[in-house]
Amino acid sequence: MSEKKPRKRETRLIMISPASNVTPDLLVRTAHALGKELSAKETCYGCLLEGDPGVVAEARDELRKLDPHGIYSKRRAYPAGDPRRCRAQHGTRPGYAQLESEWKLLANLQNAMDAIDLGEKAPPEPQKKILPVREFKEIYEVNL
Amino acid sequence: MKKIFIDPPNSMILFDIVERLGHEPLSTMAALQERVDNLEIDMPPMNVTLDDVISGLKYAGIEVPSGIRGRLATWGPHIDEADAAIVMTQAPYSFGCVGCERSNEMVKYLLRRRGIPVLWVEYPGDKEAAMRMLESTKEFLEGLE
Repeated sequence: MSEKKPRKRETRLIMISPASNVTPDLLVRTAHALGKELSAKETCYGCLLEGDPGVVAEARDELRKLDPHGIYSKRRAYPAGDPRRCRAQHGTRPGYAQLESEWKLLANLQNAMDAIDLGEKAPPEPQKKILPVREFKEIYEVNL
Repeated sequence: MKKIFIDPPNSMILFDIVERLGHEPLSTMAALQERVDNLEIDMPPMNVTLDDVISGLKYAGIEVPSGIRGRLATWGPHIDEADAAIVMTQAPYSFGCVGCERSNEMVKYLLRRRGIPVLWVEYPGDKEAAMRMLESTKEFLEGLE
């Protein structure tokens, strides 16, 4: 009898920047077309990839070629479609607020990466000014 | 390849940038996956084991609320393991692991106490800030080699 070894799993969340032209559908089709042993689930923000860690990393690199500065990823603790998390089965989704707030920032990162590739240098951080007392008084003495 | 602790530990932006630059990010997700796959607990991180609460004592005293100890039981081993850390500053209230600011402050204290190199990056609120963040992160990670 062959001994069953526990399979190593990695679930990866792929998110598309709002400034990118790639669609979740294209991501999933591309992931399936790779012909690797992994599962891909389409979501509203991109897709979920699940499989052996090496295979998932290869697939992530392949998907990133569609738009190198517009596709971002991170690991996910729960498997794809887990009833404790999946919305389709009324699971809770406590990490969704964080995903949404980061999704809004991805366009900034994409534009910054494009600018750096074109050879632009980051402008220095603006100096913070001390608020003069007169202006501070105007703020707190305002009559609403 | 160095192990980089990221703060907020669930941030996709920091996770992705560290990975793109060829290092291994240490995040909450990996720690929770271990609990999801190997332990029979209902819903980590909402539920913890007794071992978690005990291991949290290494990072926070007994008088500290159990929520902080539970969080530090997840992040603490990663802080011990890390070669360096990247911390995002000036982020809005709703960014990162919300719910317990004392835990977040404790993480920063533990990082300072360990004495590893820590980079404090700006929140990428606009393109210029994102450029500054990317450039400083690249310089920091290249300097670790």
